[in-house]
Amino acid sequence: MAKKVQITRPTKIELARLRRRLKLATRIQKIVKDRLSILIMELLQTVRECASVKERLLTEFSEAYRSLSITTGYHGYVSLKKELMVSEMAMKVNAGTRNVAGVRMPLFEIEKADLMKSKKKNMAGTSSFLDHSTELSQKCLETIIELAEFQKSFELLGMEINKVKRINNALEYVVVPGLDMTIKYLTMKFEERDREEAARLKHVKLLIEQREAYAY
Amino acid sequence: MPTDHSSDGPVAGYLKDEFKVLNAQIPRKRRSLTELLKEEHPHVVCNDGNTHFFKRKELEYLSQMLYESERNSLLLPIIMEVTPDQSGVTIKSKGGSEAKLLSKILGMTVVSKGNVITIFRPQLNVVRKALKTTTQYVFLFRNL
Repeated sequence: MAKKVQITRPTKIELARLRRRLKLATRIQKIVKDRLSILIMELLQTVRECASVKERLLTEFSEAYRSLSITTGYHGYVSLKKELMVSEMAMKVNAGTRNVAGVRMPLFEIEKADLMKSKKKNMAGTSSFLDHSTELSQKCLETIIELAEFQKSFELLGMEINKVKRINNALEYVVVPGLDMTIKYLTMKFEERDREEAARLKHVKLLIEQREAYAY
Repeated sequence: MPTDHSSDGPVAGYLKDEFKVLNAQIPRKRRSLTELLKEEHPHVVCNDGNTHFFKRKELEYLSQMLYESERNSLLLPIIMEVTPDQSGVTIKSKGGSEAKLLSKILGMTVVSKGNVITIFRPQLNVVRKALKTTTQYVFLFRNL
Protein backbone atom coordinates (compact mmCIF):
# COMPACT_ATOMS: atom_id res chain seq x y z
CA MET A 1 0.00 0.00 0.00
CA ALA A 2 1.21 3.47 -0.85
CA LYS A 3 2.41 5.60 2.00
CA LYS A 4 1.39 9.18 2.42
CA VAL A 5 4.15 11.71 1.76
CA GLN A 6 5.07 13.28 5.09
CA ILE A 7 4.60 17.01 5.24
CA THR A 8 5.52 19.19 8.17
CA ARG A 9 2.81 21.82 7.73
CA PRO A 10 -0.50 21.29 5.95
CA THR A 11 -0.80 24.53 4.00
CA LYS A 12 -2.17 25.53 0.62
CA ILE A 13 1.34 26.25 -0.66
CA GLU A 14 2.31 22.71 0.26
CA LEU A 15 -0.73 21.41 -1.61
CA ALA A 16 0.22 23.36 -4.74
CA ARG A 17 3.76 22.03 -4.47
CA LEU A 18 2.51 18.46 -4.14
CA ARG A 19 0.26 18.87 -7.17
CA ARG A 20 3.25 20.06 -9.19
CA ARG A 21 5.26 17.08 -8.00
CA LEU A 22 2.47 14.69 -8.97
CA LYS A 23 2.27 16.16 -12.46
CA LEU A 24 6.03 15.84 -12.89
CA ALA A 25 6.07 12.28 -11.57
CA THR A 26 3.33 11.26 -14.02
CA ARG A 27 5.25 12.78 -16.91
CA ILE A 28 8.48 11.13 -15.88
CA GLN A 29 6.69 7.82 -15.64
CA LYS A 30 5.58 8.13 -19.27
CA ILE A 31 9.18 8.65 -20.42
CA VAL A 32 10.41 5.76 -18.30
CA LYS A 33 7.70 3.53 -19.76
CA ASP A 34 8.70 4.54 -23.28
CA ARG A 35 12.30 3.72 -22.55
CA LEU A 36 11.30 0.40 -21.06
CA SER A 37 9.28 -0.57 -24.13
CA ILE A 38 12.18 0.36 -26.43
CA LEU A 39 14.65 -1.61 -24.32
CA ILE A 40 12.35 -4.64 -24.38
CA MET A 41 12.03 -4.35 -28.15
CA GLU A 42 15.83 -4.24 -28.45
CA LEU A 43 16.20 -7.21 -26.10
CA LEU A 44 13.76 -9.33 -28.08
CA GLN A 45 15.56 -8.49 -31.29
CA THR A 46 18.93 -9.35 -29.73
CA VAL A 47 17.55 -12.66 -28.45
CA ARG A 48 16.24 -13.53 -31.91
CA GLU A 49 19.55 -12.67 -33.53
CA CYS A 50 21.50 -14.47 -30.83
CA ALA A 51 19.50 -17.66 -31.46
CA SER A 52 19.97 -17.47 -35.22
CA VAL A 53 23.73 -16.84 -34.87
CA LYS A 54 24.02 -19.81 -32.47
CA GLU A 55 22.26 -22.05 -34.97
CA ARG A 56 24.53 -20.82 -37.75
CA LEU A 57 27.59 -21.40 -35.58
CA LEU A 58 26.60 -25.02 -34.94
CA THR A 59 26.19 -25.67 -38.67
CA GLU A 60 29.48 -23.97 -39.47
CA PHE A 61 31.30 -25.93 -36.77
CA SER A 62 29.99 -29.25 -38.01
CA GLU A 63 31.00 -28.34 -41.57
CA ALA A 64 34.44 -27.21 -40.43
CA TYR A 65 35.03 -30.44 -38.45
CA ARG A 66 33.92 -32.53 -41.38
CA SER A 67 36.25 -30.66 -43.69
CA LEU A 68 39.12 -30.91 -41.20
CA SER A 69 38.68 -34.66 -40.86
CA ILE A 70 38.75 -35.02 -44.68
CA THR A 71 41.90 -32.89 -44.83
CA THR A 72 43.53 -34.93 -42.07
CA GLY A 73 42.65 -38.10 -43.96
CA TYR A 74 44.15 -36.74 -47.16
CA HIS A 75 47.39 -35.30 -45.74
CA GLY A 76 47.92 -37.43 -42.70
CA TYR A 77 48.00 -36.14 -39.14
CA VAL A 78 51.75 -35.53 -38.88
CA SER A 79 52.09 -33.71 -42.17
CA LEU A 80 49.03 -31.56 -41.48
CA LYS A 81 50.35 -30.64 -38.04
CA LYS A 82 53.68 -29.70 -39.57
CA GLU A 83 51.93 -27.55 -42.17
CA LEU A 84 49.76 -25.79 -39.60
CA MET A 85 52.73 -25.12 -37.34
CA VAL A 86 54.49 -23.00 -39.93
CA SER A 87 51.39 -21.22 -41.22
CA GLU A 88 50.31 -18.01 -39.55
CA MET A 89 47.31 -15.79 -39.63
CA ALA A 90 47.16 -12.17 -38.51
CA MET A 91 43.77 -11.33 -37.14
CA LYS A 92 42.51 -7.92 -36.13
CA VAL A 93 39.31 -7.38 -34.22
CA ASN A 94 38.08 -3.84 -33.78
CA ALA A 95 36.35 -3.45 -30.47
CA GLY A 96 34.20 -0.45 -29.64
CA THR A 97 30.94 0.48 -28.01
CA ARG A 98 27.55 1.49 -29.25
CA ASN A 99 24.90 3.17 -27.20
CA VAL A 100 21.28 2.08 -27.37
CA ALA A 101 18.81 4.11 -25.31
CA GLY A 102 21.42 4.77 -22.65
CA VAL A 103 22.91 1.26 -22.59
CA ARG A 104 26.50 0.93 -23.68
CA MET A 105 26.93 -2.27 -25.62
CA PRO A 106 30.04 -3.85 -27.12
CA LEU A 107 30.75 -3.82 -30.82
CA PHE A 108 33.20 -6.22 -32.42
CA GLU A 109 34.24 -6.17 -36.00
CA ILE A 110 36.73 -8.49 -37.58
CA GLU A 111 38.91 -6.99 -40.30
CA LYS A 112 38.50 -9.15 -43.36
CA ALA A 113 41.60 -7.80 -45.09
CA ASP A 114 43.72 -9.27 -42.29
CA LEU A 115 42.00 -12.60 -42.50
CA MET A 116 42.89 -12.88 -46.16
CA LYS A 117 46.56 -12.45 -45.32
CA SER A 118 46.92 -15.92 -43.81
CA LYS A 119 50.26 -17.27 -44.94
CA LYS A 120 51.12 -20.78 -45.86
CA LYS A 121 54.78 -21.54 -46.16
CA ASN A 122 54.57 -24.52 -48.43
CA MET A 123 52.09 -23.99 -51.26
CA ALA A 124 53.20 -27.12 -53.08
CA GLY A 125 52.69 -29.46 -50.16
CA THR A 126 49.12 -28.38 -49.39
CA SER A 127 45.84 -29.08 -51.10
CA SER A 128 42.52 -27.38 -51.74
CA PHE A 129 41.13 -29.42 -48.85
CA LEU A 130 43.32 -27.48 -46.44
CA ASP A 131 42.29 -24.17 -48.03
CA HIS A 132 38.65 -25.12 -47.66
CA SER A 133 39.13 -26.10 -44.00
CA THR A 134 40.90 -22.81 -43.32
CA GLU A 135 38.09 -20.86 -44.94
CA LEU A 136 35.50 -22.69 -42.87
CA SER A 137 37.38 -22.16 -39.62
CA GLN A 138 37.72 -18.45 -40.42
CA LYS A 139 33.97 -18.32 -40.90
CA CYS A 140 33.52 -19.99 -37.51
CA LEU A 141 35.78 -17.39 -35.93
CA GLU A 142 33.74 -14.55 -37.41
CA THR A 143 30.52 -16.09 -36.13
CA ILE A 144 31.98 -16.62 -32.64
CA ILE A 145 32.88 -12.94 -32.48
CA GLU A 146 29.40 -11.99 -33.68
CA LEU A 147 27.87 -14.26 -31.06
CA ALA A 148 30.03 -12.75 -28.31
CA GLU A 149 28.71 -9.31 -29.21
CA PHE A 150 25.09 -10.40 -29.12
CA GLN A 151 25.48 -12.42 -25.93
CA LYS A 152 27.02 -9.51 -24.02
CA SER A 153 24.46 -7.04 -25.42
CA PHE A 154 21.69 -9.38 -24.35
CA GLU A 155 23.09 -9.53 -20.82
CA LEU A 156 23.50 -5.75 -20.54
CA LEU A 157 20.03 -5.08 -21.90
CA GLY A 158 18.52 -7.52 -19.42
CA MET A 159 20.25 -5.77 -16.52
CA GLU A 160 19.13 -2.35 -17.70
CA ILE A 161 15.54 -3.55 -18.18
CA ASN A 162 15.52 -4.78 -14.58
CA LYS A 163 16.73 -1.40 -13.39
CA VAL A 164 14.22 0.58 -15.45
CA LYS A 165 11.42 -1.75 -14.37
CA ARG A 166 12.24 -1.06 -10.73
CA ILE A 167 12.10 2.68 -11.36
CA ASN A 168 8.83 2.33 -13.22
CA ASN A 169 7.33 0.24 -10.43
CA ALA A 170 8.53 2.69 -7.80
CA LEU A 171 6.84 5.51 -9.66
CA GLU A 172 3.69 3.56 -10.39
CA TYR A 173 3.15 1.96 -7.01
CA VAL A 174 4.90 4.27 -4.52
CA VAL A 175 5.52 7.82 -5.67
CA VAL A 176 2.37 8.60 -7.67
CA PRO A 177 -0.12 6.89 -5.27
CA GLY A 178 1.70 8.44 -2.28
CA LEU A 179 1.42 11.93 -3.72
CA ASP A 180 -2.17 11.26 -4.72
CA MET A 181 -3.03 10.15 -1.21
CA THR A 182 -1.35 13.16 0.39
CA ILE A 183 -3.14 15.56 -1.96
CA LYS A 184 -6.44 13.89 -1.12
CA TYR A 185 -5.64 14.10 2.60
CA LEU A 186 -4.74 17.79 2.39
CA THR A 187 -7.80 18.62 0.27
CA MET A 188 -10.06 16.89 2.78
CA LYS A 189 -8.30 18.66 5.65
CA PHE A 190 -8.83 22.07 4.01
CA GLU A 191 -12.46 21.27 3.28
CA GLU A 192 -12.94 20.27 6.89
CA ARG A 193 -11.24 23.49 8.01
CA ASP A 194 -13.57 25.49 5.73
CA ARG A 195 -16.60 23.74 7.14
CA GLU A 196 -15.41 24.41 10.71
CA GLU A 197 -14.80 28.03 9.80
CA ALA A 198 -18.31 28.37 8.35
CA ALA A 199 -19.85 26.78 11.44
CA ARG A 200 -17.78 29.03 13.72
CA LEU A 201 -18.85 32.13 11.81
CA LYS A 202 -22.48 31.09 12.03
CA HIS A 203 -22.11 30.58 15.77
CA VAL A 204 -20.43 33.97 16.22
CA LYS A 205 -23.14 35.60 14.12
CA LEU A 206 -25.80 33.98 16.30
CA LEU A 207 -24.06 35.15 19.47
CA ILE A 208 -23.86 38.71 18.14
CA GLU A 209 -27.53 38.62 17.18
CA GLN A 210 -28.48 37.32 20.65
CA ARG A 211 -26.37 40.02 22.32
CA GLU A 212 -28.01 42.69 20.19
CA ALA A 213 -31.48 41.34 21.09
CA TYR A 214 -30.68 41.45 24.85
CA ALA A 215 -29.37 45.00 24.51
CA TYR A 216 -32.76 46.21 23.39
CA MET B 1 8.03 25.73 3.29
CA PRO B 2 9.95 22.82 4.78
CA THR B 3 8.88 19.53 3.30
CA ASP B 4 10.07 16.11 4.32
CA HIS B 5 11.25 14.27 1.20
CA SER B 6 12.46 11.23 3.08
CA SER B 7 9.72 8.91 1.77
CA ASP B 8 10.60 9.36 -1.91
CA GLY B 9 14.24 10.29 -1.48
CA PRO B 10 15.70 7.03 -2.89
CA VAL B 11 13.31 7.23 -5.82
CA ALA B 12 14.43 10.78 -6.54
CA GLY B 13 18.02 9.52 -6.53
CA TYR B 14 17.13 6.77 -8.98
CA LEU B 15 15.42 9.26 -11.24
CA LYS B 16 18.42 11.55 -11.20
CA ASP B 17 20.59 8.67 -12.44
CA GLU B 18 17.94 7.67 -14.95
CA PHE B 19 17.88 11.12 -16.53
CA LYS B 20 21.65 11.20 -16.68
CA VAL B 21 21.74 8.12 -18.91
CA LEU B 22 18.52 8.73 -20.80
CA ASN B 23 19.97 11.02 -23.47
CA ALA B 24 23.65 10.37 -22.89
CA GLN B 25 23.86 8.72 -26.30
CA ILE B 26 23.13 11.89 -28.29
CA PRO B 27 26.17 12.72 -30.41
CA ARG B 28 27.88 16.04 -29.81
CA LYS B 29 28.26 16.45 -33.54
CA ARG B 30 26.83 14.31 -36.31
CA ARG B 31 29.02 13.41 -39.24
CA SER B 32 28.29 12.79 -42.89
CA LEU B 33 28.37 9.33 -44.40
CA THR B 34 31.16 10.29 -46.81
CA GLU B 35 33.31 11.50 -43.94
CA LEU B 36 32.71 8.33 -41.93
CA LEU B 37 33.46 6.03 -44.83
CA LYS B 38 36.92 7.54 -45.16
CA GLU B 39 37.79 6.79 -41.53
CA GLU B 40 39.50 3.67 -40.30
CA HIS B 41 37.34 3.48 -37.19
CA PRO B 42 34.15 5.42 -37.92
CA HIS B 43 32.73 6.90 -34.75
CA VAL B 44 31.09 9.91 -33.13
CA VAL B 45 31.56 11.32 -29.62
CA CYS B 46 28.45 11.18 -27.43
CA ASN B 47 27.14 13.73 -24.96
CA ASP B 48 28.64 11.85 -22.01
CA GLY B 49 32.08 11.77 -23.64
CA ASN B 50 31.93 8.15 -24.74
CA THR B 51 32.38 7.09 -28.32
CA HIS B 52 29.73 5.46 -30.44
CA PHE B 53 31.22 3.30 -33.18
CA PHE B 54 29.58 2.50 -36.50
CA LYS B 55 29.75 -0.84 -38.21
CA ARG B 56 31.56 -0.53 -41.52
CA LYS B 57 29.18 -3.07 -43.02
CA GLU B 58 26.25 -0.80 -42.21
CA LEU B 59 27.94 2.27 -43.63
CA GLU B 60 28.69 0.42 -46.84
CA TYR B 61 25.10 -0.80 -46.97
CA LEU B 62 23.89 2.79 -46.68
CA SER B 63 26.33 4.07 -49.27
CA GLN B 64 25.09 1.50 -51.77
CA MET B 65 21.60 2.93 -51.54
CA LEU B 66 22.53 6.59 -51.96
CA TYR B 67 24.04 8.86 -54.59
CA GLU B 68 27.23 10.82 -53.92
CA SER B 69 25.40 14.07 -53.07
CA GLU B 70 23.03 12.24 -50.74
CA ARG B 71 25.97 10.60 -48.98
CA ASN B 72 27.35 14.04 -48.23
CA SER B 73 24.07 15.32 -46.87
CA LEU B 74 23.20 12.27 -44.76
CA LEU B 75 24.26 12.93 -41.18
CA LEU B 76 24.87 9.97 -38.93
CA PRO B 77 23.65 8.66 -36.59
CA ILE B 78 20.08 9.16 -37.73
CA ILE B 79 18.22 10.57 -34.73
CA MET B 80 14.89 8.94 -33.88
CA GLU B 81 12.86 11.05 -31.49
CA VAL B 82 10.70 9.26 -28.96
CA THR B 83 7.91 11.44 -27.61
CA PRO B 84 5.48 10.26 -24.92
CA ASP B 85 1.87 9.62 -26.00
CA GLN B 86 2.94 8.87 -29.55
CA SER B 87 2.59 5.50 -31.19
CA GLY B 88 5.83 5.80 -33.13
CA VAL B 89 9.05 7.73 -33.46
CA THR B 90 9.83 10.75 -35.58
CA ILE B 91 12.88 11.37 -37.71
CA LYS B 92 13.86 14.80 -38.91
CA SER B 93 15.06 14.77 -42.47
CA LYS B 94 16.50 17.88 -44.10
CA GLY B 95 17.88 16.52 -47.36
CA GLY B 96 15.31 13.78 -47.87
CA SER B 97 17.97 11.06 -47.97
CA GLU B 98 16.59 9.59 -44.72
CA ALA B 99 13.16 9.13 -46.34
CA LYS B 100 14.78 7.40 -49.31
CA LEU B 101 16.74 5.06 -47.06
CA LEU B 102 13.76 4.17 -44.92
CA SER B 103 11.61 3.56 -48.00
CA LYS B 104 14.18 1.09 -49.28
CA ILE B 105 14.61 -0.65 -45.93
CA LEU B 106 10.89 -0.89 -45.21
CA GLY B 107 9.96 -1.71 -48.80
CA MET B 108 7.26 0.94 -48.85
CA THR B 109 6.93 4.63 -49.53
CA VAL B 110 7.82 6.80 -46.56
CA VAL B 111 6.51 10.33 -46.78
CA SER B 112 8.10 13.19 -44.88
CA LYS B 113 5.67 15.88 -43.82
CA GLY B 114 7.46 19.16 -43.24
CA ASN B 115 10.83 17.44 -42.98
CA VAL B 116 9.47 15.02 -40.37
CA ILE B 117 9.11 11.29 -40.97
CA THR B 118 6.96 9.22 -38.66
CA ILE B 119 7.73 5.54 -38.16
CA PHE B 120 5.46 3.24 -36.22
CA ARG B 121 6.62 0.65 -33.69
CA PRO B 122 6.41 -2.46 -35.94
CA GLN B 123 8.38 -0.61 -38.63
CA LEU B 124 10.89 0.53 -36.04
CA ASN B 125 11.83 -3.08 -35.44
CA VAL B 126 12.73 -3.54 -39.11
CA VAL B 127 14.69 -0.29 -39.25
CA ARG B 128 16.66 -1.10 -36.10
CA LYS B 129 17.46 -4.56 -37.39
CA ALA B 130 19.02 -3.09 -40.52
CA LEU B 131 20.58 0.00 -38.97
CA LYS B 132 21.80 -0.96 -35.53
CA THR B 133 24.63 1.50 -35.11
CA THR B 134 23.58 4.19 -37.57
CA THR B 135 20.36 5.06 -35.75
CA GLN B 136 20.02 6.54 -32.29
CA TYR B 137 17.08 7.10 -29.93
CA VAL B 138 16.45 10.45 -28.29
CA PHE B 139 13.83 10.85 -25.57
CA LEU B 140 12.04 14.15 -25.77
CA PHE B 141 10.45 16.01 -22.88
CA ARG B 142 8.39 18.42 -24.91
CA ASN B 143 4.59 17.94 -24.98
CA LEU B 144 4.94 17.25 -21.30
